[in-house]
Amino acid sequence: MSDEMTDEQKEAFVAKLRKEVGNTGTPSVARDPVNQPMIRHWCDAMEDANPLYTDLDAADQGPHGKIVAPPAMLNAWTMIGLIPRVNDPNDPASGVYAMLDEAGYVGVVATNSEHVYHRYLNIGDHLTGVVKLVDVSEEKQTALGIGHFVTTETEYHDQHGDHVGSMFFRILKFRPGTGRTASTAGDGDSAGERPPRPRPSRNQDTDFFWQGSREGELRIQQCLNCGRLQHPPGIRCPACGATEMGYITASGKGTLYSYVVAHHPRVPSFDYPLNIGLVELEEGVRLVTNITDCDSAQLKVGMPLEAWHMQTHEDVSLPVFRPARVPPNPNTLNFDEVSVGDELPLCPIPLTPTLIVSTAIASRDYQDVHHDRDMAIKKGSEDIFMNILTSSGLSARYISDWAGPDAAFKNLKISLGAPNYPYDCMTMSGSVTAKREADGENLVEVSFRGQNSRGPHVSGTVDLALPRA
Amino acid sequence: MTLNYAYECAIAGIGATPFTKDSGRTPMDQAVEACLAACEDAGLPPEKVNGFVTYSAEQNPEIELARNLGIPELTHFSMVHHGGGAACGVIAVACQAIYSGAADYVLCYRAFNERSWHRFGAGVQDRPAGAEASEVSFSWSSPFGLVTPASWVAMFATRYLHEYGATTEDFGRVSVVDRDFAATNPYAHFFQRPITLEDHQNSRWIVEPLRLLDCCQETDGAQALLVTTAERAKDLQQKPAVIASAAQGVAEDQHMMKSYYRDSITGIPEMGVCARQLYQSSGLTADDIQTAIIYDHFTPLVLPQLEEFGFCDRGEAKDFIRDGHLGRDGRLPINTNGGQLGEAYIHGLNGIAEGVRQIRGTSVNQIDNVENVLATAGTAVPTSALILSQPR
Repeated sequence: MSDEMTDEQKEAFVAKLRKEVGNTGTPSVARDPVNQPMIRHWCDAMEDANPLYTDLDAADQGPHGKIVAPPAMLNAWTMIGLIPRVNDPNDPASGVYAMLDEAGYVGVVATNSEHVYHRYLNIGDHLTGVVKLVDVSEEKQTALGIGHFVTTETEYHDQHGDHVGSMFFRILKFRPGTGRTASTAGDGDSAGERPPRPRPSRNQDTDFFWQGSREGELRIQQCLNCGRLQHPPGIRCPACGATEMGYITASGKGTLYSYVVAHHPRVPSFDYPLNIGLVELEEGVRLVTNITDCDSAQLKVGMPLEAWHMQTHEDVSLPVFRPARVPPNPNTLNFDEVSVGDELPLCPIPLTPTLIVSTAIASRDYQDVHHDRDMAIKKGSEDIFMNILTSSGLSARYISDWAGPDAAFKNLKISLGAPNYPYDCMTMSGSVTAKREADGENLVEVSFRGQNSRGPHVSGTVDLALPRA
Repeated sequence: MTLNYAYECAIAGIGATPFTKDSGRTPMDQAVEACLAACEDAGLPPEKVNGFVTYSAEQNPEIELARNLGIPELTHFSMVHHGGGAACGVIAVACQAIYSGAADYVLCYRAFNERSWHRFGAGVQDRPAGAEASEVSFSWSSPFGLVTPASWVAMFATRYLHEYGATTEDFGRVSVVDRDFAATNPYAHFFQRPITLEDHQNSRWIVEPLRLLDCCQETDGAQALLVTTAERAKDLQQKPAVIASAAQGVAEDQHMMKSYYRDSITGIPEMGVCARQLYQSSGLTADDIQTAIIYDHFTPLVLPQLEEFGFCDRGEAKDFIRDGHLGRDGRLPINTNGGQLGEAYIHGLNGIAEGVRQIRGTSVNQIDNVENVLATAGTAVPTSALILSQPR
């Protein structure tokens, strides 16, 4: 193991790792041409509804005149698939990965991906990728562990030999259990425990609400005579005097009517700063709740929200709210209506195990850490985690949902931070950071970020070409 | 409906302990001192007292006070609910008892070690989760961490800022006024320690949009007020502060600190209920008020109180404040004792004592030509208010 290496041995090891820097591998031909089933599978998994990718009629009338592949799929086409084929003996990166595995750096996470798109891909295009080893870093201490960053650059050409795109890519190979937090894990266990939240008091008059919340329903009391809704619940309808009270199940959609951000005093049951909102449901009543999955600075009166149910005790779940996903914009933004400083609406992406696994498979990334919990843990991770192609794909979906279907991606550059583990939520935010005209195109730069409960998972920028009237 | 006891009763004596952060004494000890001081101020032997009215939050029973004060019998004793909302309510109930003949001399008091013993600001997260309605009412807020009075008020404040275009600097201007008066009141905790608006803006967040300097102090101390008929008061040694009117108020869909479910949450309709009663029964209007004690547990709710009492229009308190009307030379100097941010937090009762001093002409920050003083009680709770006037 390298912590037993002397400085000289380390130097020699890095020199060995770097021996092939600058070399390229054998061109790797995609197993299949760009095809509709893979595109559809990708769009399903990413929940990307851009009609130019799957709807023949819409694509016919769109700017490309035919179906195009989501640009973020660029490197999915040449992924090797589940059954590993014989490794290219000339691939300089594979050699480095093998050496690192052997030396105990078996953990792997991708940290950077920068796509450049020269043109959108059509069904039938057949890609070839050539990888070049760009750099291997010195040994670094990272939050995940001690390891080396390996940087590659891949050029993609189509069946005619035309250059269609490129990818700058960086991964971290690390030794599991050597992370910054690993050494304190022993005493950290009890520090992670916290007293439960104040328990809701309940009685026969309010049980329906809490029972509903346990079942994932947001129930609002309704007068069975006049239909009036009220919250908090009462005994008798103040409007008509009836005492027969029932409830409706609310849609869970609402807007933020008011909010506070609690800082002091800090009650040990909660994380601070703590977002507490007064939400007005679309049915017309209000309730106090937490606004999760967004920074306090992102709270705005009137913002759209959606309910979810947070289990806080063995037998209690609380209805809480997160920013609601805004429906995709069907009308592509015009260059002139976009200004630097414009903010994109927040978009929550609940990180279900299904999302993490289905998107990994849809991007043909069969690294076990993205679908096999046992293997993920063995390799130093807490659980399975989202692959970087999905981080790109979801970022692209977020941008495209805002900009509209015809916005053309010129590039997509992301870097990753905190991993996306299951049962968390990543909230996307972004803003327009530049506008320019280049090569006859009207380009808008958007900077974006996806934040989960641990911190920023993804941050990046994209250049979009927008139509102009 | 009118209040028959308008102008019939008066505050004849006031008494308080020193206001401290760590009294080193029991609240009971301080309650006795304040009550004796109020009697002495009036020149009334304590055994003449035959009524007590206090807050339901008070932990020092009136029978213990009666025993310590040597009072042979009580013919009226009652409590007013809902925390600081009781501040003027205890005076209203005392008037009702006196006007009805149930009592002749009534002591209203509040005593606690609110700083060194039980701090209200620490939150209600440890309240038992029982099934009684009063306990169940916390279910709609406490599990979400909305557990402190500052947080309950902050929810109104954010909406007020949003609807009326006020800023947190407008809250800060209230704080600056309080501290300016406190700076010249030797009895105030913040004597000789005024603040600037910049100090306010630089103070740390407690619950956004409330900063530390938007929040009242926490205090150990006691305050007592002696109420009797306006006629009897004339025979005592101080100039009577006639109670032109005193009223309580609850409005539609009222909740304890969290009336968040009304069509609008930027007003304080229960204070409007009080204002209407006070003005109707006393025949006075906002124009007749020279100075006021506006309950200031948290600065944001000072603004809608000014609106409820008609000192300015709805949503325009920010302009009234920016124009400097709450300060020394303003149209309506408020909280001339320094308020609960500057002097002390005795659940509003110390403010009423300052109102009495303004009528007597003995305030350290005396306003010229005071005819009538408004005082209000805790807001966001069921509340109360009163007007004190010069004797006729």
